[in-house]
Amino acid sequence: MNTIIRSPLAFAISAALATTALPASAQEDAVKIVQSKCLACHTEESHTKKNEGAPQWSRISHQRKTPEGWLMTIGRMQMMHGLQISDDERSAVVKYLADRQGLAPEETADYRYAMERRLDTMEAFDDSFFEEMCARCHSGARVGLQRRPAEEWEHLVHFHLGQWPSTEYQALARDRDWFPMAINDMVPKLAKMFPMDSDSWDHWQAAPKPEFVGQWSFAVHQPGRGDGSGLMTVTKQEGDQYSVSVDGQWADGTPLKGSGSAIVYTGFEWRAEIDLGGVITRQVLAASKDGMNLRGRVFEAAHDERGMEFTAAKATTGNSQIIAVYPQNLKAGESTEVTIVGAGLKGRVSMGNGVSIEKVLKRSYNSVTVLTKADADATTSANAVTVGGVNGGQFAVYKKVDSVKVQPAFTIARVGGNGGSTPKVQARFEAEAWGAGPDGQSGTDDDIRIGYLPANWHVEPFDEAAKADNDVHFAGRMDAASGVFTPGNAGPNPERRMSTNNAGNLKVVASVKDGDQTLQGDGQLIVTVQRWNDAPLP
Amino acid sequence: MKHLKAINNKAQLLDKAVAEDQVEEVVAMQSLAGCAATTDPGWEIDAFGSVTSLCQPMESDLYGCADPCWWPAQVPDMMNTHTNWNENAQDSGESWRNLGTVFPSDKK
Repeated sequence: MNTIIRSPLAFAISAALATTALPASAQEDAVKIVQSKCLACHTEESHTKKNEGAPQWSRISHQRKTPEGWLMTIGRMQMMHGLQISDDERSAVVKYLADRQGLAPEETADYRYAMERRLDTMEAFDDSFFEEMCARCHSGARVGLQRRPAEEWEHLVHFHLGQWPSTEYQALARDRDWFPMAINDMVPKLAKMFPMDSDSWDHWQAAPKPEFVGQWSFAVHQPGRGDGSGLMTVTKQEGDQYSVSVDGQWADGTPLKGSGSAIVYTGFEWRAEIDLGGVITRQVLAASKDGMNLRGRVFEAAHDERGMEFTAAKATTGNSQIIAVYPQNLKAGESTEVTIVGAGLKGRVSMGNGVSIEKVLKRSYNSVTVLTKADADATTSANAVTVGGVNGGQFAVYKKVDSVKVQPAFTIARVGGNGGSTPKVQARFEAEAWGAGPDGQSGTDDDIRIGYLPANWHVEPFDEAAKADNDVHFAGRMDAASGVFTPGNAGPNPERRMSTNNAGNLKVVASVKDGDQTLQGDGQLIVTVQRWNDAPLP
Repeated sequence: MKHLKAINNKAQLLDKAVAEDQVEEVVAMQSLAGCAATTDPGWEIDAFGSVTSLCQPMESDLYGCADPCWWPAQVPDMMNTHTNWNENAQDSGESWRNLGTVFPSDKK
């Protein structure tokens, strides 16, 4: 196997502080590494007033990126230019550069899905020129998570053309004068869309940074698994590094426990590696500017498609908020236990009209579990949930389900395994129930989201071609109860026409039982081939 | 396209898709983060939003993609960047298992 970069980026671990700065010694170490490793090609520049005497280097000092972006840059230097650097050295440089030349929280807001490895995100850009020029081969997020002046964006165009000469041809240069468009139109546009200098970054550098040490009340939601909650305890280590312990449970009572370590970049970018019951998971989270919330995604290190939504509230005096309510709904006339998760949850629980609280089953500062009952004559509505004076929860009561949507509506799985180096990439689906709203018509603006409901899952051929090629048989198996689709083996399949791969085009069907009726919703699943180049930012 | 005449089934399908304005819809469908959205066809999805018109099995044309940097974000380009990617898999159909991914384990 030809593995170019063999070992993990040491998201090394150091400790907590309320500024983005590394300890002076770590900064000096990082500068020495850059000087000894990078200045064979890059050059040292004179210090500017703005940098207050900090060292400045050609190219390197004129870009801002996320930790993943800097990792990719250094990885590229290893792959393309023969840079010799240890994992620890690389980690130190990523940390130094992400802290000093990172992105402000709001500069990352539109593109966090790329860092969070939400590879079922459908990208859509208002600017079709940007989409055509930058987002046809890789994600637009890879671009949107960088900041450069025009000169550096221009270097990037030249780099693309030099490194991948067929870019021009691939980008339809036969039909248009591509290169002048890239240089004269796209470069100024990028410099304006994603500028090196920004008020956001200036303000963030000067702002007080979140404090991570302490307890965080968290809630998770994983397609195919459900909801959970608990406490995450963060303890300071060296520098911006922390030790982390997680103590919670899934809704069915299964423990959700583990421990690991974390590092914070740029004052708010939390990256942790946690062993959750023997499974190594990664947390890619962002702290809110006020330090009261952490949000993002947790996923298995070896299977980033297996992930969960993660929301946390700092469990500290003065922070009162609701971050999750599960389950999300209750049918008229039925009862269920409902857990409300947050911080500072004192006082009376209200689930809104048509839902009564029969009993408080369990409560703490961070969560309340109540037995609720929906009135038999309750109408479908999306209710606000409050605990004492704390707002922010949502809970739906429903008379009947009027329509079902499969989420995601369109996604891909990838064949894998079978002795090859790439694992199978699963796809996971959920059935989202909706009420028709006051107009009685589904698919209109007044539809009411009821939320996720259990479903029975199967796949069908998406079209005639899929039927003729028997994609349902070859492309993989859908788990009827969980909505998790596991694709078939990689490699040519002699049993298929032309020994084709176990690819397929499938309709994903969810059947939701609601009283005497069964409603169906469907989505599309493309089972496709491996991705051989799987960079941290897609 | 006005001087070209579709003579095989795939070309006729493409003509039909263009006539029915399907191609534009398909391009929209192909914008999953990180998937190739180029329409000749994409690495993951063909111009019809399916997989039946992809080069399949993929192994039969893999090096035709890797040599000229055809999908460098999905397939390691062997022209400039990963020139030795297939040194242990000269015949992709027989020895595809010897091919590795680049950037395999450093997404922390």
